[in-house]
Amino acid sequence: MPRSGVRRPRVRSITLSNGLRVLLAPEPTSPTASVWVWYRVGSKNEVPGITGASHWVEHMLFEGSPRYAKGEIDRAVLRVGGELNAFTDTDFTAYFTTVPRDHLSVPLDIEADRMTRAAITDEEVARERTVIHSEREGNENWPEFRVEEELLQLAFRIHPYRWDALGRRRDIEEMSAEQLRAYYRRFYGPRNAVLVVAGGFDVAGTAAEVRRRFSKLPPWGEDVEVRDVEPPQVGERRSTLSGPGTTPYIQIGWRSPALSDPATPATLVLDTILGGESRVFSAGMGWRGRREHPTARLYRALVDTGLAVRATSGWTPHFYPSLFTVQAQAAPGVSLDRVEAAVESVLERLARSGPTAKEMSDVRTRIRRGAALAYEGATSTGFRIGYFATLQSLALEDELYRRLLHVSARSVRDRARALFRPEARVVVRYEPTGAAANE
Amino acid sequence: MSDANDPLTVEYGREVRGLTVVRQSTPASAASFSATYVGPAGWGFDPEGEGGTARVVSQVLTSGAGSYDRVALARRLDRAGATLSTECAPESAEVTIWGPAADWRQLLGLLADVVLRPRFAADDLSRIRRQLAERQLRELAQPGSRADRELFRAAYPEGHPYRSTGLGDARSVLRLTRERLRRFHREHYTSGDALLVVSVPTRLPAVEAEVRSHFSEFAEERAPELRLPRVPTSRPRTVSVELAGRSQVEIRIGGDSIARSDPLYPAAFLANEVLGGRAQLSRLFQRVREEGGLVYHASSELEAMRFGGHWMVGAGTGADRWRKVVPLLAKELDRIAHRAVSANELREVRESAIGELPLALESTADAHELAVEVAYHRLPGDFLSRWPSVLRSVTPGEIRAAADRSMDQSHAVTVLAGPLSAP
Repeated sequence: MPRSGVRRPRVRSITLSNGLRVLLAPEPTSPTASVWVWYRVGSKNEVPGITGASHWVEHMLFEGSPRYAKGEIDRAVLRVGGELNAFTDTDFTAYFTTVPRDHLSVPLDIEADRMTRAAITDEEVARERTVIHSEREGNENWPEFRVEEELLQLAFRIHPYRWDALGRRRDIEEMSAEQLRAYYRRFYGPRNAVLVVAGGFDVAGTAAEVRRRFSKLPPWGEDVEVRDVEPPQVGERRSTLSGPGTTPYIQIGWRSPALSDPATPATLVLDTILGGESRVFSAGMGWRGRREHPTARLYRALVDTGLAVRATSGWTPHFYPSLFTVQAQAAPGVSLDRVEAAVESVLERLARSGPTAKEMSDVRTRIRRGAALAYEGATSTGFRIGYFATLQSLALEDELYRRLLHVSARSVRDRARALFRPEARVVVRYEPTGAAANE
Repeated sequence: MSDANDPLTVEYGREVRGLTVVRQSTPASAASFSATYVGPAGWGFDPEGEGGTARVVSQVLTSGAGSYDRVALARRLDRAGATLSTECAPESAEVTIWGPAADWRQLLGLLADVVLRPRFAADDLSRIRRQLAERQLRELAQPGSRADRELFRAAYPEGHPYRSTGLGDARSVLRLTRERLRRFHREHYTSGDALLVVSVPTRLPAVEAEVRSHFSEFAEERAPELRLPRVPTSRPRTVSVELAGRSQVEIRIGGDSIARSDPLYPAAFLANEVLGGRAQLSRLFQRVREEGGLVYHASSELEAMRFGGHWMVGAGTGADRWRKVVPLLAKELDRIAHRAVSANELREVRESAIGELPLALESTADAHELAVEVAYHRLPGDFLSRWPSVLRSVTPGEIRAAADRSMDQSHAVTVLAGPLSAP
């Protein structure tokens, strides 16, 4: 067990001459093996006209390569009882395949083949266009998606964080196959990738197999750094959307520090105190959801009092300054003016007095216990190792863990003061039209 | 001979005041344990005119128990690194605790508190009612949940437990007084027809002893019976719900189906996998998404419960494409019921289903889900080990016959919910 208290399997790290970083995390008793490829490519690397390209490439990497005809990647994995999927974020794209341990060669072969040689044909791009369009339409059915998209557009005027990873509607309609191929050729390759193998496998044999399959790949992958710098926000930005829905919904955002900022641990603790659970170290759950927690300040001030049916905050570290958000769904019959006033009151109190000693103690308990069981199963191990290694390095997890436990109440208060300035606020409200809801 | 250390083996223990005790070993690499109480407390038991009762009671359980109010309970779980969750379904309700295996004894005690001694605090009830009211609105307003709701309402007669989604309506929730909810808890969170499934690296006798020490408060009561009115046969019909302002139309085709105990189940399971259950290998995914490029999601499900079941094909697509998608779904349904699956296709889907068993044993939580399913359906303790050979004995002809009966198109309901008349 590492000294940090995170019960992570021992990891062997290899860097191939073409730049591919390989992390092997064996768990000898595991019945499965999970292969993850993380690319440091995400919607941050897109420009207007090709927004959504990373997500589209994600789809295309399942549609064929020299060794795998269309549909064969899925078949090769599923017929041995495996599962596979991928997801695209602002900062990265991740592909994973988990298989019974005897079939580890299957995902390794697939990933080596599609890392630099995905087909991305005109025909398949044309066919996939409506699939992606349909995925976006499914998201648009949710007011929360529309609000978040509006919030990002309002908050960022220059930086590519201003669009959602799904991309803009018009770009999905107009992006060409050649633009996608160019994007793929430019960014995808060993230099921008982290390969993680977790679970039941022999380390020496797998290391040799990885070298054999991946070391001959060309050292592709251009610089993925984003040089656009978002200017400081001077003055509140506000917008109201309307459409079908249930009860009014609000999301408020404030520009927050990048991962490398020394304020990252205090910002994570601030999010935990407002929203309830640690997003980095949390018992028994993944990263994408968050259970309601009755000790969270927003929950107590909005849900317990009957103003909202849901209320939480959201922040995860990004490469570049992103947004710290608070969101709440009003209870039936409650106006957003009252909800927003209550949110402001919670934030103002936290910025004035900081968290209590009890709250800080609760947060530390949650982090300690969450870290103890964060690794269980090859798939979640591959996810965690890849996530930290892609964001920075595997040591980031240990460092965050140690630093989180040393965050003081005063630094959380200072973070709240620095973040929650009215002139740096972005507010998007959603007012349901109601006709559909009550028919 | 089954190996009690194999997570694929489910051991049935002696009853504790009528409560069936079930034990499963945890995966070797896991450091967590999990325990679930499953009782006859689903929304199929909601008293007439009091829709939402089972769901509210299920949520009340995590809002304080015994000497813990809601905040104290959350802090207790945090200190243990544990989680508590509830699930409510038509036939049953589940309460699950998960946490470090080293603390399983204390956590089992906490689960007993939650199941046996919920607090029903007035402010918790008010909060849960408000949240339920918003979920009712959401069910009506969101194309996906609205389509599900309309399918069940059209497929099942009044009074049938599968007709409802358990949310009740604005009026029924107002009737849910503390006393009525308490009574439901008393009558349905019983030991009769209930299970306690524990996944833990400890022998069965020790588990039984621990269960006895925590759950002896159960009165040995007869379980309430779920009434299933006969589902009348009817001609295929379509329900359309215009939800203007949405981007996507949700499509459902489905109806009544078989129970898990039906001898046809293994063949019906494979029929569903071939049709739309086995993700990217399935026909719906291949035809409608990969070849047609018409949808993002297209799948099927066969929900074979203890007393009955339902089947459903689902897809979501744009307002300009749903007219093309519906016939494709219907065509694949017709094909699975009337033409034999090829040996190759069957082998591929079947071996995929068999091969994924190790994936279900990655973590305690995954393995535990399997054990709960086995125990709920009163399947033999070695069921999971024998499941591969059961599937390998199914023939293409049996699949076609099972599809014809378990996904009966001649009485199917088609539901369209979304911006149907958008240009």
